[in-house]
Amino acid sequence: MSPQLARVVGGAAAPAPRFSPESAKAAGLRLVRPVRSRARKAPFVVVVLTILSIGLVGLIILSTVLQAQSFEAQRLNERAAELETQQQLLSREVDSLQSPANVARRAIAFGMVPNTNPAFLRLSDGKVLGKPEAAKPGNTNIRSVSP
Amino acid sequence: MNAGRTVSRRRLRVCLAMVVGVFGVFGVRLFQIQGLDASAYAAKAIEDGTAKNTIPAPRGAILDRNGAELATSVDGLTLTADPKMTAANAPQIARILREKLGKRIDYFDTIDKLRTPDSRFVYLVRDVPAWTAKKALKAIADADMTGVFSEKETLRAYPGGKLAANLLGYVNGAGKGVAGIEQEYDKTLTGTDGASTYEIDPNTGVRIPMADSTVTDMVPGRDVTTTIDRDLQWYADQRLADAVRASSSDWGLAITMDTKTCQIVQMSQAPTFNADDGTGMVDSNTVSRGVQNVYEPGSVMKTITMAALADQGKIASDTPIVVPSGMRIDNFQIGDYWKHGVLHLTAAGVIAKSSNLGTIVASQQMSDTVMYNYFRKFGFGQMSGVNLPGESDGILKNGKEWTKANHATIAFGQGVSVTAMQMVRAVGAIANAGKMCEPSVVSSTSDADGKETKIPAKPAKRVVSKDAAATVTRMMEAVTAPDGTAPAAAIKGYRVAGKTGTAWRVDPQTGRYIRGQNTVSFMGFAPADNPRFLTYIVLDKPYSNAGGGSTAAPVFHDIMSMALERFGVAPTGSKSPKVKQTW
Repeated sequence: MSPQLARVVGGAAAPAPRFSPESAKAAGLRLVRPVRSRARKAPFVVVVLTILSIGLVGLIILSTVLQAQSFEAQRLNERAAELETQQQLLSREVDSLQSPANVARRAIAFGMVPNTNPAFLRLSDGKVLGKPEAAKPGNTNIRSVSP
Repeated sequence: MNAGRTVSRRRLRVCLAMVVGVFGVFGVRLFQIQGLDASAYAAKAIEDGTAKNTIPAPRGAILDRNGAELATSVDGLTLTADPKMTAANAPQIARILREKLGKRIDYFDTIDKLRTPDSRFVYLVRDVPAWTAKKALKAIADADMTGVFSEKETLRAYPGGKLAANLLGYVNGAGKGVAGIEQEYDKTLTGTDGASTYEIDPNTGVRIPMADSTVTDMVPGRDVTTTIDRDLQWYADQRLADAVRASSSDWGLAITMDTKTCQIVQMSQAPTFNADDGTGMVDSNTVSRGVQNVYEPGSVMKTITMAALADQGKIASDTPIVVPSGMRIDNFQIGDYWKHGVLHLTAAGVIAKSSNLGTIVASQQMSDTVMYNYFRKFGFGQMSGVNLPGESDGILKNGKEWTKANHATIAFGQGVSVTAMQMVRAVGAIANAGKMCEPSVVSSTSDADGKETKIPAKPAKRVVSKDAAATVTRMMEAVTAPDGTAPAAAIKGYRVAGKTGTAWRVDPQTGRYIRGQNTVSFMGFAPADNPRFLTYIVLDKPYSNAGGGSTAAPVFHDIMSMALERFGVAPTGSKSPKVKQTW
């Protein structure tokens, strides 16, 4: 945008007037001494040092935190493994409690016997399908349960 | 003054020389380390600073048809010891281990191991479930004793213990399946181990955050879903074990198949083994008799002979047959199991009374080739397609080489050897209206995300006509009638078709029949007018006067009743047609 603008301005001012001391004086212009920079260095140094030290401290903190978290991660991993072992133990206990052998053993202990005469009640018309017969101890060959 | 300066200058030179010497040594060593041995040291540094981890892929589980776990993998530990460290406290450590691990270890053996001279490493006990092993390790640590260590591994667990053991099989020490489904589907069940490498602090072993690491993903093994119903399987296991004990048989088998799909819902064997605690692991228990054991089936085979005849239109259930009192074929005297004169039995009567002679008379209507071809069509002499390892294809002599005696005896199931699975498949065709399918024990596999891949069933092939199957079924119903050979197999309210078998046992050494030793069996399906399940019971070498009807049929009754009840198969309500047994 600006080069275009400059060209437009330049175009409007052409042709450029030639420089001469007379014309300068007439225009009220004179040479001046170059201004010496008085900007102070100290704040800059302080700012840079501050940034650097903040960075350094940040890095140290970050590294320390990461390291600490690494320890934590390891501890948690060990804990997870331990819990997994425990979970396996518990699910095995559940399995053995739910196993048909266990259910049957407890049922037999309650005096129950397996039904050897399947019969069904049809809900739509209340009809009994099959010939139901009371299950009696002795009409089945499962009297005890081996695991 | 001058002399002092000379001394100090000399001292200075000596010191300089020493300094130069020391630095020279450093320089040489530096050159050696950096220039000559650089790569070795760098490698050692990398090795100390990296940890490699194998992530073992868990083996897939084997599930029953409802998703109950039949075989699963758990964390296990192997306990090792450094005898240098344990020798002093050997008795105390052995006592703690014995207390916590129980029968897995022997107290005195362990003491010896803990005191092994001139050794720094011994295995104490392998394959202990992690929770048990950790308890033992903690107890040892609590007692302020050291020198017992552990190594991680994966352990195969069978929550049901003996349940379906011969079908499931087991794995060897390396975790590879060596029998049953564990072997057949080993590739599917085995996953791909993962691996990870990362940088650690060599002193603490703690992982350095944000440092380089590489990870190869672990792919767990796929689960295998079987067609087995766990509860029915358990019941059948118990019932069969009871029967084997009561009849003092060598071994027994019970197989139940869904006749519509040919899925095996239960496959029991007794005696069997327990791969979970490693008891009973001898060949005679671990062999899968259902597919690996060949035997002569005896009279159950008569159903196949009759089906072949009925398919050719050569027999119906009321076809009159004159049964002689005895026969002599090729110097081989054949009789029935009961003494009789000339009998006038119908074909149904021949099956109901299980007459060998009647079957021979009927089978004479077929040539050797025709009969042989029917037996081949029914799958004898060929593997059953059930996909289990070590399957036998039985022995069926080529029809072209049959003698007269072969034709006669094969008709009633002697002189032909089969596996139980072949027998189940063949009679399954009669139950399934003449169409035979291949039995299956696995329905699908699924990955860790639960994505299921079904194993497609092979299409059923027609073996005999629907009418022929119906005719034989009617004959088989007469077997469970009050005047048949196996009224004990009848289930009140249901129509049950069945056939008994009492076959002579062959001595494997001599190849001759052994007097007084039998293989008794019962094959049946229900409901007879719309079959859903087929159950086959085999008891080998029971007490001498045991028969298929008296010994195997009650087992059939109980297992079949349980199957019908569990799967909600109601009786059809129709009455068995009366078929004449004599004329």
